[in-house]
Amino acid sequence: MARYFENSADDLVPDALTGFARAHADLVEFDASDGYVTARHTAPARRVGLLSGGGSGHEPMHAGYVGAGMLDAACPGRVFASPHNRQIYRASLAAARPGGVLHIVKNYTGDRINFGIAAERLADQGITCSRVLVDDDLASDSEEIAAGRRGTGGTVLVEKILGGAADAGLGIEELTELGTAMVGRCRTLAAASAAHHAPGTGEPAFSLPVGELEYGVGIHGERADRTRPQGDVRALVEDMTGALLAELRPGADEPVVALVNGLGSVTLLELYGIFGEMGRVLDARRVRLARHLVGDYVTALDMRGFSLTLLVADPAVLAFYDAPVHTAALRW
Amino acid sequence: MTTAAFDGTLTRDWMHRFADSVYATEAELTALDQRVGDGDFGNNLTAGVRAAQRLLDAHGEGSGPSATLGFMATAFLDEIGGTSGPLFGLLFQALSRAASGDGLTAAGLAEGAEQGLAAIRRVGDASPGDKTLVDALTPAAAALRASEGTPPGRALARAADAAWQGVHDTAGLSARMGRASYLGERVTGIPDPGAVGVALFFASAAGPVNALAPYLPDAG
Repeated sequence: MARYFENSADDLVPDALTGFARAHADLVEFDASDGYVTARHTAPARRVGLLSGGGSGHEPMHAGYVGAGMLDAACPGRVFASPHNRQIYRASLAAARPGGVLHIVKNYTGDRINFGIAAERLADQGITCSRVLVDDDLASDSEEIAAGRRGTGGTVLVEKILGGAADAGLGIEELTELGTAMVGRCRTLAAASAAHHAPGTGEPAFSLPVGELEYGVGIHGERADRTRPQGDVRALVEDMTGALLAELRPGADEPVVALVNGLGSVTLLELYGIFGEMGRVLDARRVRLARHLVGDYVTALDMRGFSLTLLVADPAVLAFYDAPVHTAALRW
Repeated sequence: MTTAAFDGTLTRDWMHRFADSVYATEAELTALDQRVGDGDFGNNLTAGVRAAQRLLDAHGEGSGPSATLGFMATAFLDEIGGTSGPLFGLLFQALSRAASGDGLTAAGLAEGAEQGLAAIRRVGDASPGDKTLVDALTPAAAALRASEGTPPGRALARAADAAWQGVHDTAGLSARMGRASYLGERVTGIPDPGAVGVALFFASAAGPVNALAPYLPDAG
C-alpha cells in the first residue's frame, strides 16, 4: 500500500489544477467551473486552435503542454476517465481561432465519443473542427483488439510538432494531414516492473513477482498481455527498440525523434541509463537519432515503468519540432 | 392532431409527456440495463428529462419549437454523465436545428431525425444491427420521411411504431458496441435500453407511456 498525499481521491485533480494554475500563472489560466486550462500567450500567426485532453493521472500531460508553441487549451478528466463533452465543447469555444479548432485525441473509446460529441456541437454552431487520433502503442497492435492501438507517449511529440506547424500558419486540413501522417510514423512500447497505486485506497492495480515485468503496458494500469523476466536493462531496451524499428523501418537518411519516458516512479538515474542503451542500439543499426527527450512526460500515476517512443521525421517536421515552445513542461 | 406544424406549446407538451414516460418506466429501464449494460441508463435518462424540465420551466414559456428542443439538447449534452444521455442530446440538437425554419413539420422531424442519426452514428461508430439506439432511430427516421406532408402527430405515431419494431429487433441481436459487447450471447433476447429510450420519445408525442412491458418482447 502507498497512500497519496491528497485531501481525498475526488479532490486530487481539482486541487492539482488549482495549484498548477497558480504555479504557472504567467502561462495559463484555469477555468474551474468548466474544467479547462487555456494558454495566455500564443503566436499571432496561428490560425487554428489546438486542443487536447483526456483522463488525469498522466501529468504533466496535458495541462503541462498548454502555452506558446504548443496547445491552446487542455481539458483534463478525472483520473483515467475521459473529460465530459461539456468540458471539451467549452474548451473548444475558448481555443477556436478563425481557422477552427483541432482536437488531438488519444485512441480510447470514451475520449473518442466525448470529443466526437463536442465536435458535433461545434459543427452545429458553425465552428470548423477536425481531429488527429493518436494511436501509437505498438503493444495493442492486434487484429483481436477491436478498439485499435492505444494512444500513449507519442502524443507529446505529435502535440509539439503540430504546435510548431500551427504557429507557422498551417490551416486545419494541413494540420490534420500532418498530424495523422506523424502518428503513422510514430510508435511507443512500454514495460513496467510494478503497478501504479490507486488514489484513495493506495492499493496497487496488480501485483507482480519480484524479478518479473509486464511487457507492453498501457498508461492506465492495465496489465500487458505478456510477463517476462526482468533481466538486465540492456537486453530489455534492445528488444523494445528493435520492435519499434521493425515496425517503423526508418530509412538511412530519415531523422528520428526519440522519447524515453518515465511512467511515474522510475528515477532519472534509470531513465538516462535507458536512453544510453537506446542510443547504442540506434547507432548500431545506423539510425539517425536527430532529437530526443528524456524524463517524465506522459505518466501513469506512480507506475514503475517506462516507455520508448520513436518518431520518423523529415526536415520540415524537425523544423516544427525545433520551433520555440514555452509551456510548464516543455520549453526551448 | 391535424396541425401542419407543432408550435412551441405542442412541442413543450410533448417533451413533458416524454419526461412523464421516463419517470413512469425508470425502474423497468434500469432492470433492462442491468442485464445488458452497466445499469445506469434509466437513471441517466431521468436526470436528463429532469434537467430539461428545469430549463423549460425557467425559460420555456413563449419559446418556439426550435428553442424548446434546444433546451432539451443543452440539458442532455451538458448535464448527463456517461455517453448514451449525451447521444440523445445530439438527436435533440438536430431536431432543434431542423425546426428553426418552418417549425416542426413532418418534413422537419424527418430532417432532424436523419441528421441526429447521422451525428450519433459518426460519434458512436455504430451501424444498424449493433444492438444500439441506432436500431430504433433508423426505422423511426425512415417512417418520418415516408410521412412527409402528413400532420406531425400522425408522422410521429408512425415513427413510434417503427421504433418499437426496432426495439423488438434488437432483442434478437448480440451486441458489438458498449458494455453489452462483452456479454456475447447472454444478452440475446433482451432489447437494447437505448433503443427503448428512442421509442419512448416518439411514442410520448401521442401520450405518456406508463409501462414498458406491453411493448417489449417476453425476455424470459
